[in-house]
Amino acid sequence: MQLHYIDYSIIALYFLFVVGVGFLLKSKIKTGNDFLMSNRSIPLWITSLAFISANLGAQEVLGMAASGAKYGFYTAHFYWLGAVIAMVFLGVFMMPFYYGSKARSIPEYLKLRYDEKTRTFNALSFAVMTVFSSGISLYALAMLMQTILGWDFNLSVWMAAGIVLIYTFLGGLTSAVYNEVLQFFLIVLGIAPLVFIGLRKAGGWQGIMHNVDNVKLHLWRGMDSAAHNPMGVDGVSLIFGLGFVLAFGYWCTDFLVVQRAMISRNQNDAQRTPIIAAFPKIFMPLIVILPGIIILALQKQFTGFALPANANGAVDYNMTLPVMLSKLYPSGILGVGITALIASFMSGMAGNVTAFNTVWTFDIYQSHINKNASEKHYFYVGKATTVAGILISIATAYFARRFNNIMDLLQLVFSFVNAPLFATFFLGMFWKRTTGHGAFWGLLSGTTAAALTYGLTVAEGKGGWIANMHMFYSGTSQAFNIAWIAFSVCFIVTAIISLLTKPKPNEQLAGLVYSLTPKQKDHSKVWYKNPLWLGIIVLLITLLFNIIFF
Amino acid sequence: MNKLFDLRFVIGCFFLIVGVLLLLYGFFTTVHDQSVNQWCGSIFSIFGIVMLLLSYRNNTNDNTND
Repeated sequence: MQLHYIDYSIIALYFLFVVGVGFLLKSKIKTGNDFLMSNRSIPLWITSLAFISANLGAQEVLGMAASGAKYGFYTAHFYWLGAVIAMVFLGVFMMPFYYGSKARSIPEYLKLRYDEKTRTFNALSFAVMTVFSSGISLYALAMLMQTILGWDFNLSVWMAAGIVLIYTFLGGLTSAVYNEVLQFFLIVLGIAPLVFIGLRKAGGWQGIMHNVDNVKLHLWRGMDSAAHNPMGVDGVSLIFGLGFVLAFGYWCTDFLVVQRAMISRNQNDAQRTPIIAAFPKIFMPLIVILPGIIILALQKQFTGFALPANANGAVDYNMTLPVMLSKLYPSGILGVGITALIASFMSGMAGNVTAFNTVWTFDIYQSHINKNASEKHYFYVGKATTVAGILISIATAYFARRFNNIMDLLQLVFSFVNAPLFATFFLGMFWKRTTGHGAFWGLLSGTTAAALTYGLTVAEGKGGWIANMHMFYSGTSQAFNIAWIAFSVCFIVTAIISLLTKPKPNEQLAGLVYSLTPKQKDHSKVWYKNPLWLGIIVLLITLLFNIIFF
Repeated sequence: MNKLFDLRFVIGCFFLIVGVLLLLYGFFTTVHDQSVNQWCGSIFSIFGIVMLLLSYRNNTNDNTND
């Protein structure tokens, strides 16, 4: 791919703006609370777009286009089944506990609801997961730079990480959130013309229907068996593994995204944040998945759209979007498209680093190392953690080079850490009898069960490091099954141990458990300020899309 | 200075500059078909102006309330 001065100018302009936002906000960031929590002062429209953008990392943009080419429309399940419903649940049912409890992080909520050891376990596992995800984002961008611009991998990693470091170091969470919103618009406006041009070249919707295998043009057909659909997943694993466990585990308990809602100005805004974010989320498949399907139609009609092979000799689906950009965009808009990819990387990486900052500073450092230091002290610890987080991400990026499909890898990580976590929150919020001991051992058992299941099964040559007791059709199917097994083990172990141990007294659980929290009813609210009504609208639109693309 | 802290102003400036760059490049370069840059430049510029107007309106309201 040949870039011209106009393309480089747009990339440079973007770098200038993201770094500029950091410098601009520097003067407003004075305390640890400002740096790590944005002083809970961010308007609703910003928190909503940041909520969706924090998830719109490189692995999302590149990975979803890759999955679109690999699995077709089935990939939309990651949105309509694997995101939207959980986002509505978070807004309507869970956010009142997170925001109302005044917890500064998800692990801190666990401390309030359960105990210190459950918090520490979650904080440590979350910290590992965020730097791992951040490293994957970094890896994706460096590979992209190497492939399309011919830059050295090592140089790309260090330079790109440096830019994220500057603006997160200067402006903290507020800077990351502001840039996430800029990145959201850039990704949408930078990739939308690609979909339009690609669709027109492919012969419109009719061209897609005629040139793409029918088996890739549905959402639910062939879900009776893993052998009958390109995803290699059966309906039960999909609904329970992705739709329930992974979706709720990620969107309802992952501090990276929930943090964007927790910095809202009031509880109603915090509740509406994920639900308003769900509206653009419903339409994101048009931007990130459709290019993967369009390239299949273009491959049938034109030469030059074939995807290159990766190091293992297999088709490198992660190159779907870069190939589309190089073939369909002329210089100028090509610079915008490349900048959009860079933005997606930065969005993912900065999101992870800022969440890592908060959890490390509040839940590990303040909780275990230095309890009673000044605000200024935690401000500096937050800054130092930013630097450490970026350095660990760089190390992780090299590890990520060993895997092919980024999305499969990410699902694998989520299934180890997040899948059991939702059982812990669900029981904690809706069953007052749940105890700290139950939660801790449940989490430990669930995570262990996830690792063991991965070690005893194989998919696409991965897993089976203990023994090969079962072969899955795809890595995605393996991840979904690991998720529901981990969830079930955590749920059962938590319930049993809770029944055998002494629960907290009711008065300590007010505001933390559903049955012990007074219900807030405000009949004066107009419908668009009511999270429940907004949630119902979101779910109806999602249902409609599922019917249309059945 | 307050305007600089308004995210709409920052986003508006960015897209207006990118839009104008694309428009200028589209009109003054003869290499390849430049219609994509022209219509994308127009859309980006319009989006940028809308964001700037929203920022301006917000600032005006704030000043009135003060």
